[in-house]
Amino acid sequence: MTSTDRSDELAAAGLDGQNRTALGRLLGTGSIGHAEKGSDGIMRATVRIPEDELIWEPSILVFPEGGEVELTLINDDKNTHCAVLPHNGDPKIIWMVNHSKGTARLSLSGPGTYYYGSTTGNDEGRGLTGALVFGGEVPDSAKQDRPPQPRP
Amino acid sequence: MTDYVDAGEAVPHKTLSATKGSAPATGNVDFERIKAAKSEPQNWLTYYGSYDGQRHSPLDQINKETVKRLSPAWVFQAGMNGLHSGASTYSFEASPLVVEGVMYVSGPDGKVWAIDAATGEELWRYKWASPYDVSLCCGNVNRGVAVGHGKVYMYTLNAHLIALDAQTGDLVWDTVNGDVRAGESGSVAPLIVKDKVIVGSAGGEFGLRGHIDAFDAQTGERQWRCYTVPKPGEPGSETWGDENAEAWQRGGANCWVTPTYDPELELLYHGTGNPAPDFDGGVRPGDNLYTDSVVAVDVNTGTIQWHYQFTPHDLWDYDSTMENLLFDAPDGRKLLAHADKNGYFFVLDRTNGELVRVFPFVDRITWGEITPDGKVTPKVYPDEEGVPVHFWPGPAGGKEWTHMSYNPSTGLIYVPVQEVGATATRRRREFRESIPYWGAGVAVDLDDFYGYVAAIDPVTGEEKWRWNNEYPMCASTLTTAGGLVFQGTPTGEFVALDADTGEKLWSFQCGSGHHSSPSTFEVDGRQYIAVPSGWGGWVEGFLPGLLGAAAGDALFCFALPES
Repeated sequence: MTSTDRSDELAAAGLDGQNRTALGRLLGTGSIGHAEKGSDGIMRATVRIPEDELIWEPSILVFPEGGEVELTLINDDKNTHCAVLPHNGDPKIIWMVNHSKGTARLSLSGPGTYYYGSTTGNDEGRGLTGALVFGGEVPDSAKQDRPPQPRP
Repeated sequence: MTDYVDAGEAVPHKTLSATKGSAPATGNVDFERIKAAKSEPQNWLTYYGSYDGQRHSPLDQINKETVKRLSPAWVFQAGMNGLHSGASTYSFEASPLVVEGVMYVSGPDGKVWAIDAATGEELWRYKWASPYDVSLCCGNVNRGVAVGHGKVYMYTLNAHLIALDAQTGDLVWDTVNGDVRAGESGSVAPLIVKDKVIVGSAGGEFGLRGHIDAFDAQTGERQWRCYTVPKPGEPGSETWGDENAEAWQRGGANCWVTPTYDPELELLYHGTGNPAPDFDGGVRPGDNLYTDSVVAVDVNTGTIQWHYQFTPHDLWDYDSTMENLLFDAPDGRKLLAHADKNGYFFVLDRTNGELVRVFPFVDRITWGEITPDGKVTPKVYPDEEGVPVHFWPGPAGGKEWTHMSYNPSTGLIYVPVQEVGATATRRRREFRESIPYWGAGVAVDLDDFYGYVAAIDPVTGEEKWRWNNEYPMCASTLTTAGGLVFQGTPTGEFVALDADTGEKLWSFQCGSGHHSSPSTFEVDGRQYIAVPSGWGGWVEGFLPGLLGAAAGDALFCFALPES
């Protein structure tokens, strides 16, 4: 299946927008983005809330490994939202009125997936739940002393 | 379009709460102080209250006469936010520690708090971000922290050992100790011994090679690692098939419960988990050392000095990770008591692992038999592909990880007992990293179950009394010099029993089932009993008949009225 096939299927099923087949936007049906690692080692990316879509775009952000993250968050919607984001130490929150822009600096370990969302009303359920996906492997010092094993 | 409104920078969530942000300084908790923990009963300094794992307190303000007036002093609510791993399996399993009026306790999902132990006020909080997709065999749980050297230590769901500043909750160091891509995780409460912090691995249902690790408490640098499955050429490797066999590579024997420790012998007594695959022994011929064992580990070197295997070549998921309680016989012999999942109670000489006594402590044992001299004979097990086999105790055992306690005044050990059977049907499968590796389909009984607290004399093997309950007992007992035994039930009651007779003297309904380890302490002359309440974890394993019971994550603290 190509990505176009998938987009077409979501559209045909009415799952690619607000208040079509479902009440909200099915989680994880937005686009996929990739963070860029700067010369300072910080991984940077931008997410945006488009008007009346109640979705983070991209809704899935992929990072090459765990580490320091700097997200730029933009609210292009005509309503107020926020973001509560995972962070080692304590989640971080940013309040985002209509047409606003802010940043979040996060420290997260990898590999693994974290979700963040707009924790006002039921923004999270309507679609404003995004994924931060960290790839990579744990350090060799944390691995088991055994030959490489088969993976799924 | 106008410029964007500046939303600023995201701030820590806790800044929008009433948490104070710091805890009072306490006296330094070091090895000498933990070793002498029983001399300061106002505190609960380490996981079991003391290195011997007795879970006994000399405090007696709350006693047989006064306990009827016991009331909640305060309640602390953990709460959840957003999507988190094990969204339906979280449980509040910890044992709260207390140092000079400051409580340190961990909750589900990477949370640690410092709490005013007299008022319940939140002093500081720390939350480790746990990946949503981390492999968790048995829920989003953590059994507690260690406190010492000015720090609070926690082993995270994704197998990081972290050290926090005890006054501020700020991160001091973070060491990665497990491979989440292999299905490894962390749930154990660390143990401080000398200059070390000890932790064990979790993930036995994913075909790992179990290990115990010691880290420098100040820097987080690993001092030693002890694998609990030997590789070819090492002692015990002959129990994993011939030299070409690969079963050892994914053999299990994880160590997800805190060890006990004898400072004179300098030995850690660590229980080890089931072999993998749990129920398919055909792919791992032999006894499969050191699965389902107690290993006595030299704390200085990490080498195994002796072992005793409770269930050789396990085919029933009978982990032996639960505590090895240390006590001395009336003749002074240094002993160790262990109530195993397999339904038998073992007493060993803890200097050399010699069997002193073994006897059943549950009513129904069908998997096999262990004779008084320790000979093991399996009888019922899933050895034929696709054929269901029913056995007692089920895979959660006659007693799971939740702990028993020993009262030196009565000489009795109080054991939380689960009477639940199960059916396993062998279904062989290929091993794949991070995918559950059971080798069977398993369904634990939805009926014909019950539980009790058994008061057992470990010197004679006699059961002195039992307190019966409609449901199996899935929480740790605590016993005190007030002549009491405290026990939480799966239906939410927190119960005080007479340590001599088993008579129920008091109870309080906490609103969610108990699957934790209560502790007791004193502040300004007032004794408190603290118990986390929150049903969850591996309920499908130990009591699926209550899979629909309400979850929770509250910490109750009880005391006698001040007036």
